[in-house]
Amino acid sequence: MVVKVNNLVKRYGDLIALDHFNLQVNEGEIFGLLGPNGSGKTTAINCILALLKYDKGTIEVFGQAMAPDAYNIKREIGIIMQNVAVFNELTVQENINYFCGLYISDKKKRASLVEEAIEFVGLNDFRKFYPRKLSGGLLRRLNIACGIAHQPKLIIMDEPTVAVDPQSRNSILEGIQKLNRQGATVIYTSHYMEEVEQICTRIAIMDRGKIIATGTNDELKSMIKAGEKITAEIFGLDSLQIQNIKNLPHISSVEYDENMLVVKSERGKNNLAIVLDYFRVHNIPYGKIYCELPTLNDVFLEITGKQLRD
Amino acid sequence: MFLHIFTNRCKCLVRDKVLMFWTLMFPIVLASLFGLAFSNLSSEDKFSEINIAVVDNNEYQSNQAFQSALSAVTDAGQSSGEKGLFNVILSTHEQADELLKNNKIEGYILFDGGANLVIKESGINQTIIKTFLDDYAQIGSAITNIVRQNPTAFPSLMEDVMADKNYLKEVSPSNAEPNTTLNYYYALVAMACLFGSFWGVKEISAVQADLSPQGARVNLAPAHKLKIFGYSLCAAAVVHLFTIFILIAYLSLFLKVDFGRDLLYVLLACVVGSMMGVSMGALIGALIKKDEIVKIAVLVSVSMILSFLAGLMMVDMKYIVTHAIPVMAYINPANLITDAFYSLYYFDTYNRFFTNIGLLLGFTVVFYLIVYFVLRRQRYASL
Repeated sequence: MVVKVNNLVKRYGDLIALDHFNLQVNEGEIFGLLGPNGSGKTTAINCILALLKYDKGTIEVFGQAMAPDAYNIKREIGIIMQNVAVFNELTVQENINYFCGLYISDKKKRASLVEEAIEFVGLNDFRKFYPRKLSGGLLRRLNIACGIAHQPKLIIMDEPTVAVDPQSRNSILEGIQKLNRQGATVIYTSHYMEEVEQICTRIAIMDRGKIIATGTNDELKSMIKAGEKITAEIFGLDSLQIQNIKNLPHISSVEYDENMLVVKSERGKNNLAIVLDYFRVHNIPYGKIYCELPTLNDVFLEITGKQLRD
Repeated sequence: MFLHIFTNRCKCLVRDKVLMFWTLMFPIVLASLFGLAFSNLSSEDKFSEINIAVVDNNEYQSNQAFQSALSAVTDAGQSSGEKGLFNVILSTHEQADELLKNNKIEGYILFDGGANLVIKESGINQTIIKTFLDDYAQIGSAITNIVRQNPTAFPSLMEDVMADKNYLKEVSPSNAEPNTTLNYYYALVAMACLFGSFWGVKEISAVQADLSPQGARVNLAPAHKLKIFGYSLCAAAVVHLFTIFILIAYLSLFLKVDFGRDLLYVLLACVVGSMMGVSMGALIGALIKKDEIVKIAVLVSVSMILSFLAGLMMVDMKYIVTHAIPVMAYINPANLITDAFYSLYYFDTYNRFFTNIGLLLGFTVVFYLIVYFVLRRQRYASL
């Protein structure tokens, strides 16, 4: 077990930011902590890192109690924070070297690690640039390089792709998977469910300071009733036909608006085939048709009754 | 670790153009403006001979005593290279009128039943001519009266009259001349020392997780935060001291400001002043949980007010404060720095200098102790 959190309670005055929060992260995982803004993800991370005081609970990292002076644990942790944490007066290379130097005192070894980090985040052409000359995406990459240059065993990434262009986002996500393949355990917090679905091997969904569900992507989706959502472009569908579709097996709701039919089904096999079969038998012509599998947002919606991005 | 943090923090500080402007360029620019202002001020104080005319008529020619007196003040000090009081032109009455009309002379003396002064306007030069004539008339009258009553007293009387007697004895605590202008420059150095507080604020922000994301990263490193802060503070103190040395060199070499005879003590005052400034910034940085820009604004205001009270804008202010609120003179660091430099320049002993240095060191230690108690907290209530 890399990280083990038991019954963590953190209050800000009357507000409970973490309400008996429990978490277990295993070695080699990319563990996603998914939740809307204000759900307590960053607070949980800051408590795990021994930055924040908390009211109750225990935190263990690498099997030892985490504390501000637990330097042997800290040495194995890399952190990529939500806000870019670099010095504007140092160049890209100097920044990475500075933060790496807080972990690695051997100059030769450090130089080689800095080179590897620059190579890893693709900032080779920008090593002499000052941060203010970098685009948002490149700045995020620098932020990542500063956090991982010392090659930690546990990497904690707190929303590292906020305000990043799609190209840089993909590059960052690929980089995280690469780090994981190289042996690092990753804790990845985000409110972007697509990212979490894409890279995380196990996911915990948070709301109001609590973990409300934990499991793999498939396990989480299997917890809910919702199945596929089928959207079809159909002209002139009458109310009887809509009612008939609604009466098909596993169909939970049907909406028809501006020639677009949206059919939501419950979890089950061949839901799309049943709907298509109905169209064929009743000779209903359709244009575009597509089918979406349930997302983590559907999981969140079903458990909490609200959208993930509310 | 020390070298790694020290060199990188030095790079950060030196490359911060805004802070370098305020701590280095601004005091130099201000010093240059002082230099310009004070050079004009001293040229105003330079004395030049007053051009006068004396109407060369029979009465003047017959008045040997007046001619001697005039000659005495005209030629006075010429042997030692100093200027006389008057530059005298002998002329006719018409020529004298013409010269006065054309502003070639400040006034002319016309003997017409006694010495009369003719002037076109009132002024300091006209007052000096009048005072000379009044003195001449008064002394002349006194001599005449005494000689009339006791002719035998004449030789000793002349000795007494011609000799200046001073009934007050000046006891100077120093060989140096009092010079209030220097106080402006010393207050300027004090202001520059207090501007070191900007570096203190910057270093606090760089290590406090609740003040900057960089600080959060530093807190997560496997090293004691206070050690990292200590190393960073060394960098700040060295960079700031470097700016102070440049300012002192500029004042001393280009503006010829006198810093006294003992360079070692001047350097000591710079070091202590600089440490004091940086510690003040660290204190404000640690206690005020606001943006760095707000803290800098507070420190600029505080530094300027303290420097003003130390006589940066008006030298009399230093003395007003010292007399009206004596304790203020001992708790105002700008005043202590200013006074330390002035003590070095003026006094022959170092008692006052070391009192100032001791107080500055005391404040520095207290400030750092408070900072220590704030920083040693290892976890934050909120970020």
